Amino acid sequence: MKLYLYGIIDSSDQVKDSIYGLEGASVYNIPFCDIGAVVSEINQPIQGVTEGAVLEHEDIIEKLMENFTVLPVRFQTIIDGRDNLLSMMQSYYKDFRDNLERLHNKLEFGIKVIWPADKIKEHIINTYKKNDKKVSVPSNSSNKRFMRKKFEKYKINEEFQKKANKYISVMDLFFSKFAVEKKLKKLKTEDLLLDAVYLVEKGKQDNFRDAFEHIKSAHKGFKFLFSGPWPAYNFVILPKNNDLLKDSNQEDLFDKVIQHRDLVGADKI
Amino acid sequence: MHNMVTKSRDVTLLEVLDRVLDKGVIISGDVVISVADVDLIYLGLKVLLSSVETMEQLKGSPFAGPMQEAK
Repeated sequence: MKLYLYGIIDSSDQVKDSIYGLEGASVYNIPFCDIGAVVSEINQPIQGVTEGAVLEHEDIIEKLMENFTVLPVRFQTIIDGRDNLLSMMQSYYKDFRDNLERLHNKLEFGIKVIWPADKIKEHIINTYKKNDKKVSVPSNSSNKRFMRKKFEKYKINEEFQKKANKYISVMDLFFSKFAVEKKLKKLKTEDLLLDAVYLVEKGKQDNFRDAFEHIKSAHKGFKFLFSGPWPAYNFVILPKNNDLLKDSNQEDLFDKVIQHRDLVGADKI
Repeated sequence: MHNMVTKSRDVTLLEVLDRVLDKGVIISGDVVISVADVDLIYLGLKVLLSSVETMEQLKGSPFAGPMQEAK
């Protein structure tokens, strides 16, 4: 029996509402100690990434969010049987527990800011040229001209980066006031000034939205994209090399899981 | 109007894809059955997600659900 895994929740209780997952199968919780893995049974591998399947995956996680703290699991994570799932839960238990505690009562919001990069660059170039004329020295040789062009390009880019930093620091100052964690990416492309995700306490989401509205209205000519609340996809932290299941001691580990499962009554669903 | 709605759906989908295909709990190991082509498709989407042209298409489109855009 293959199990499609949607999320890890901070409860060993059953999912109260009737939720149906991929292939219309019932979604249920497989408890492990005081947490659980929410799954549905699946018969055949999903054929690639389809819009319907992706949205369904996300929809189920959002439904779980209504009642639990959820660690969303990557799309198309299919575990080969219940014993393997419990083995995985054993391996990751501490990490899952730590993440669930850290992310309890918190939501993720995404913010993308597109700025008029062309106009900003044009302005920088014009200012540079204007100032440069005052100290203009005729350069006759092609080498000098080449070096000069290189230097100009460097100065323009430097100024462009400075301006980006300035805008981002102002925006982030407002957003950070109501966030507990954040991840910012500056200038993924020249136009995409900021691609950020913020982790916000549930009780502060209105403040966070207000801060966004304030920033939005203060930056005419910029385009803003606000999304959320999301499950905290971007704030799940798992050690990179936590790959115990590839360990040669898998058999020992499996024995431990069986013992543990008996102790906690994990097989009673 | 139909076109605008489509764009709005595209944005929502892009935001979802950006998360569900790459973020959250990523479990490695033999217990996970790998599904062919997902990684390849994902690479394509990543390029798409980074594309400013895609974002530029959003001009003036109304955003449904949790999404909103401002000029």
